[in-house]
Parts: sequence; structure tokens; C-alpha cells
Amino acid sequence: MDTLSFLFDGFQTALQPHNLLFAFIGVLIGTAVGVLPGIGPMSGVALLIPVTASMTSGLSPEQAAASSIILLAGVYYGAMYGGSTTSILLNTPGESSSVVTTLDGYQMARQGRAGAALAIAAIGSFVAGIVSLIGLVLLAEPLSNVALKFGPAEYFSLMLLGLAAVSGLAGKSMTKAWIMTVFGLLLSTIGLDNVSGVARFTYNISYLYGGLEFLTVAVGLFALGEVFKSILHNEMNSGEIAKIGRVLPTKADLKESAGPIARGSLLGFFIGVLPGAGATLASFFSYILEKKVSKHPEKFGQGTIAGVAAPESANNGASGGAMIPLLTLGIPGSGTTAILMGALIMYNVQPGPLLFDEHPAVAWGLIASMFIGNVMLLILNMPLVKVFAKIIQTPTKYLLPLIIAISVFGVYAVQVTTFDVFLLLAFGLLGYWLAEHDYPLAPLVLGLVLGPMIENNMRRALTASNGDYLVFFEKPISLVLLVIAFLWIAVPFVMKLRGKSVVINEDM
Amino acid sequence: MKKTKWWGLLAAGMMTLALAACGGNESAGSKSSGSNSGSSASNYPTKPITIVAPSGAGGGWDLTARAITKVLDETGLVKQTMTVENKPGGGGAVFMAVYATQDVKNDYKLFVNSPPIIINNLKKEGNSPFGYKDTTPLAQLTKDFGAIVVKADSKFQTLTQLLDAIKQDPKSVTVAGGSAPGSMDHLVAILPIYKSGIDPKSVKYVSYDGGGEAMAALLGGNADVIATDAFSVGEYLKAGKVRVLAVSAPERLGGVLKDVPTLKELGIDAEFTIWRGVFGPKEMSSEAKAFWEETLKKLSEHEKWKEELQKQGWEAEYRNSEEFTKFLQEQEQQVGDLLKSLGMHK
Repeated sequence: MDTLSFLFDGFQTALQPHNLLFAFIGVLIGTAVGVLPGIGPMSGVALLIPVTASMTSGLSPEQAAASSIILLAGVYYGAMYGGSTTSILLNTPGESSSVVTTLDGYQMARQGRAGAALAIAAIGSFVAGIVSLIGLVLLAEPLSNVALKFGPAEYFSLMLLGLAAVSGLAGKSMTKAWIMTVFGLLLSTIGLDNVSGVARFTYNISYLYGGLEFLTVAVGLFALGEVFKSILHNEMNSGEIAKIGRVLPTKADLKESAGPIARGSLLGFFIGVLPGAGATLASFFSYILEKKVSKHPEKFGQGTIAGVAAPESANNGASGGAMIPLLTLGIPGSGTTAILMGALIMYNVQPGPLLFDEHPAVAWGLIASMFIGNVMLLILNMPLVKVFAKIIQTPTKYLLPLIIAISVFGVYAVQVTTFDVFLLLAFGLLGYWLAEHDYPLAPLVLGLVLGPMIENNMRRALTASNGDYLVFFEKPISLVLLVIAFLWIAVPFVMKLRGKSVVINEDM
Repeated sequence: MKKTKWWGLLAAGMMTLALAACGGNESAGSKSSGSNSGSSASNYPTKPITIVAPSGAGGGWDLTARAITKVLDETGLVKQTMTVENKPGGGGAVFMAVYATQDVKNDYKLFVNSPPIIINNLKKEGNSPFGYKDTTPLAQLTKDFGAIVVKADSKFQTLTQLLDAIKQDPKSVTVAGGSAPGSMDHLVAILPIYKSGIDPKSVKYVSYDGGGEAMAALLGGNADVIATDAFSVGEYLKAGKVRVLAVSAPERLGGVLKDVPTLKELGIDAEFTIWRGVFGPKEMSSEAKAFWEETLKKLSEHEKWKEELQKQGWEAEYRNSEEFTKFLQEQEQQVGDLLKSLGMHK
């Protein structure tokens, strides 16, 4: 019961009026950061560190640390709430973790269900936020040890499972989905190889040393591709604007989303705990999982609410999970948590094994404030849904230039080079062409995300084992993941061979 | 009908290009204004100053650049507005390519860097054609050192034991670091191995994405030893999770690291400083150079700067422009030798 009394103390810290205010400012800015493309959670948090430093300058060091980290963490998980907005409304993912949300979210918006999509994203994020916090309170210690046991071999097998599951993102043809996956993997080899330090496909162009920026590719393929399509198909003057139905989700919507939200929250949380895996992967995995367990897999991609609920819950769950290695081990699982860690260090609070003993007020105050912050976000986001949903009513002739402007601005703000703007244009054209010929775009993006991880971890594992491939089968977690990956592909075929009628994606 | 479609597409394309051009113009603007100033500036600085962190927000260079501008502004050492600009890409190579060719005389644009400016310029793969010689080194401000770290329950009690094990069977020891071969963590790990006469190419080095992940690999038993920066391991040492076998400092460090021997004490003639410093353009006007030399010296002695360093957990080390340039020459020699021994020199 120690934990509960610590948590109670934490709430006492978090419920102080000034800390409530800080949490509110944090989640408010976070929502804005999430909605605006270009300012990701990472730069959002980084840019606010000096601001919070001066805001809290009057407080004692310990209090100042607690207050600023409450604000900054608010920005972090607030951005996860807001990130879905442009994905759903404009097919323009603002953060890499909300790329999958575009698949069904944008379709829903086109059918006039933008309100329901936005609302379920907020509700899913809220549930996931609370679930992952409970996980954080109860399981921080044991999970941090599991996360450490997750070595290169385990990561490799997990990523392989992700690739095996790519069928979940297929559209009409499995073959085309695999072509796109491999294309994504190929694109991911561009840049400095992290294992050998050799430059690949860079042609001595320094812009390519770091590889293709994921967000540039995703925004180009999805957002600009869609814009070109609208223009060429002359949807500009169609004048048909999807009517917003009701803003809040129906009872049926909620019922349909309950399972995906629960599974997405848990999956997101556990993937988030693994350093380096992160929210993007969590959102992909949960989407694929939902499609697999759904009774109506054919509805995914056509605007089903489960396809929004699952990834949005997962990416928020992951941001909670990522706090575990950060707080208990001092190991940041993502770029944003690395910056949060920098902020803590600035206040002489070193995250790591000693954090909960040396600075209980900061650690527990932060956790308690995250409970409060999540409630604030839900209250804040529900009315905003109505406002945002109106964006979809903008006539296409204004909306398309707006999407182009936001895409270009967003990409330029992250990369600060015109090279990436041209890359964006190129991927926009490619996205249009591929979509015209029924090539699914999501597997390409997944390949691009998984490529470096799968390759680096495989080679790390093999370097450590002196080239012995058995290493992937000797580690129990790795073996289990490999078996699941194998079954994932094999089972539908076996069942089909036995004459049972199963939906293999090929037939869809 | 068909025509209108294409017009629409063209219009959209034009818009995007126009927006792209705006981005381009911005840097073009600051460039030209920079080069005019050389002649007129009798009381430098007369315009806002930009300090570039050639990385994304939040990294070490970014934090340094922001700390410098913050303190210079708060203490009134610089009266003009100062802004930090992030120019990520290629480990700083993207920024250098532009800076060393287009901002050669721009007195109003400085940048922050560390050993990678030398490493990237010398290494074969992912080479940056421009190095510190294409800039004016203004001052070194901070220092850190490399550390060789094992898990607390490791069988290696001393660096000598570790090196012996590697000598006997290089395949038996997995060395990890937070960056790719040919970069800083790798060189820190390789340095004692190279200096003790083992072929550095035989070492089993596994690279992770950043020091945090490397530490996770060590704690989780997926690496036997890691190389990282000394001041980041203090907390793990205090918690009894790791043992630090050696640091690459010229003399013993203080605090929790006071019991850790230096490489020199262990009979290995090597040291490696992870410095951070401020640079200006190659053809900086003498006025501007004099201004910054004086200002950065004052900064390094200021109470507020010392406070800031303590907050960030950095150690101060000041070298003026001349000393810094000489130091960089020595560093270049050392890094060059290491890369040659690895077959990674350009």
C-alpha cells in the first residue's frame, strides 16, 4: 500500500492551484502542437523548456522541477490527443504516430462522420491515457526489467511479426501490398548505415545522410497525393460537401469502439515500454490487430470507427508506457522523452534508478498530474470536436490550397531544408500515381518505419552472436514472436487448403 | 474539361513552389545582408545575431546554443537580439555544406559544434567535405570525457582484464556504443584498445541509436561493455548498476567518478575530450572576431554561466580562439590516426 500513499502525496502536489494551472497550460499547448503540423511534440517540448524555466523561477528547486515537468509532460501527451485532428480532417498526418489514423479517419470525414471520428479519438486517447497510467503506477518496476531484457534478437522478431502482419494493411491485392512493403524497405536503406557506418545510396548528397524523413514521405503520399487526385478528378467543382451528421458518436459507435480501445490501450502501453519502438509502431500494430480480430475486416480502410479508435488509443497508451523506462531507468524511449529527461536534469533531478527515492514529490506529482491532465484533455477536446469538424465544410477550392500550405509548412518547419519540400512534392506525385493504380500506401510507410529497426537489430544480434542465426530461436520471447509471425501467415492458407471458407485478403 | 484539370494541377504546383521559394529566400536574405555588414560595422554588432545548432531541437548542440544565447542575453553581454536556429541533417554536414560556401563572410551567423566537426571531415563514409578549417574557431566552452563502462556484476573488474579478454578472443566481448562506427562513441571505445596494441578492426562493436539505448543494452545483458560520455553515467554508478573502468580524461574527475582511474594511470597513453565550442565563418571580419573573443571570455567567467553549466551538468573548460585552433589541430591528428587504424579514413 506504499504505492497508494505515495500516489496520494502525488495528488497533493498535483492539486495545488499553480500546478493545476501548469497542467492546464501544458495540455492546452500540447493540443495546439498536436493539431498544427510541423511543430511536433519534440520541438514543442524543447522550445518550451526555457519558457517554463522562467515561469517557475520563483519556486523552490524541487517545486519548480515538479511544476515544469508537469507542464512539459502535458505538452507531450496533449500532442498525442491533438495529432489525430489533421489526419482525420485533411488526410495530413501531423505526427508520425497518427499516420495510420488517416486510413479510416479521413474516409469517415468524407462520409460526414468527422465528428464521431474526432470524438472517438479523444475518448480512446483518454481511456488509453488512464490505462497506461494505472500500468505505470502498478507495473513500473517489473516492466522496466522486462524492457531491459528486450535485446536485439527480440526486437528483430517483433519487427518481423510486424512485417508478417502487413497483410492487414492490404487493399484489393496482397501482391501489391507486398510490393509496397518491399519498396518501403528499400527506401529505408537510404542514408548512413548505423551498423557499419557506410553511406548507402546517398551519392554524396549530405541531405540524404540521415535517410528520408518519415514525415515528409507520409505527408507527401497521403496529403498531397489526395490533393492531386481531387484536382485531376475534378472534385473541385462538384460542390458536394459531406454534411456533418451528429457530432458525438452514437451508441453503436461506442459499442463498436470499446474492444479496439481496450486492446489498443494495452498494446500501446506495452510497446511504449520498449525503448526505441514507440508510438508509431504501436499505432500500426493495433490497427493491424483490430483488422485481424474484426468480424468485418473488409470495412477497414472504408471508414470504420474501430480503425480510428485503435491506433489513437495505442499511440496515447504508448506515450504513457514510454514514461516507464524514462523514470525508472533514465532511458528515454523516444525523441520527446529524451527532451523531457533533459528538462529534468536541468532541475538537478536525474531520472533513473534513484528518482523515486530521491525526488518522490517530482515523480509522483508528475504521475498524479497526468491523471488530472488526461481528464482536462477530454473536457477540452470534446467541445473542440464541434469546432474542428466544421473545417470539413470548407469548400474544396479553399480546402485544397490549405492542405498544400499546411503540408509544405509542416515539412519545412521540421526539416528546414527546401530539399525536403521537393521530396514532398515528388512523393505527392508518387502517392497519386500509386493510389490511382490501387497500390496501398500504408504498407510502404510501414516498411519505411520498420526497415531500419529490423535491419539494425538483426545485425546487432548477429554481431553479438558471432553470426549464429540460432540466437533468434534460443531466446524465449524472440521464439514466441517468431512462431506467432509464422502462424499469422500460415494459418489462413492451411485453413483454405482444408476447404474452409476463410477470407484471405487476396479475395477481397 | 481536360484542360481545366491540368490548369488546376499546375496552379497547385506553382503554389507549392512559391512556398518553397519563400523558404529559400529567407536564407538568401540573411546571407546577403550578412556580407554587406563587413564594411560598415565599426561598432559590431549592429544587427540581430543567429547561433546555429546543426541538429534538431533538444540535442547537445541545441542545448548548448540555447544556454549561450540565454546567458549572453540575460547578462547583457550582447545587446542585440540573438536567436537559435536548428539546421538538422547529416550529423551537421548539411549545415556545413551551406555555411562554408554561402556564409563565408557572414559575421552575424555563428554555430556550435563538437568533435564530429573533425570526425565527419576525416571519415570516408558520410564525409562532410568541410571541417573546422573552413571556419573561425572562436572559443571552447565545455568539456566531457569518454568512459568505458561495464555492468556492476560484470566479470571485468579492471580495464586490463577487459583488454586481456579482447586480446585473447575478440569475439568473446561485445562492445556497444550510441552511434555508428566511425563516430564519437566508437572512437572512444576503440581508443584504449588501439593504444594497447590490439587490432581495432577485430573488435566486435555494436552500435545503438544514442547513449540511452546503449545503456539499456548494457543493463539488459545484451552488451558486455559500452563507451559513452563520462558525465552521463554518474547516476547509474550511484545506484550501483554499473562499474566505470576508465575515463579518457587527462586527470581524475571529481564527484562520483573520483575513484575511476584515467587511461593514463592504467598505462595507456591516450586521452579524448568531448569538447563543445563556438565557431564563426572563415572570413570573419577582425572586428567581429575580436568582439566574440572578448564576449565569450567574459561569458566563460560569468557567474550566471557557471550556474547554467551546473544546471545542465556540464563542466567548464575555456580556450580562446588561438588555443582552441591549436587544440583542434591536435585533435585532428588523433582522430585521423584512429580512423586510419580502422581503415575508415577518407
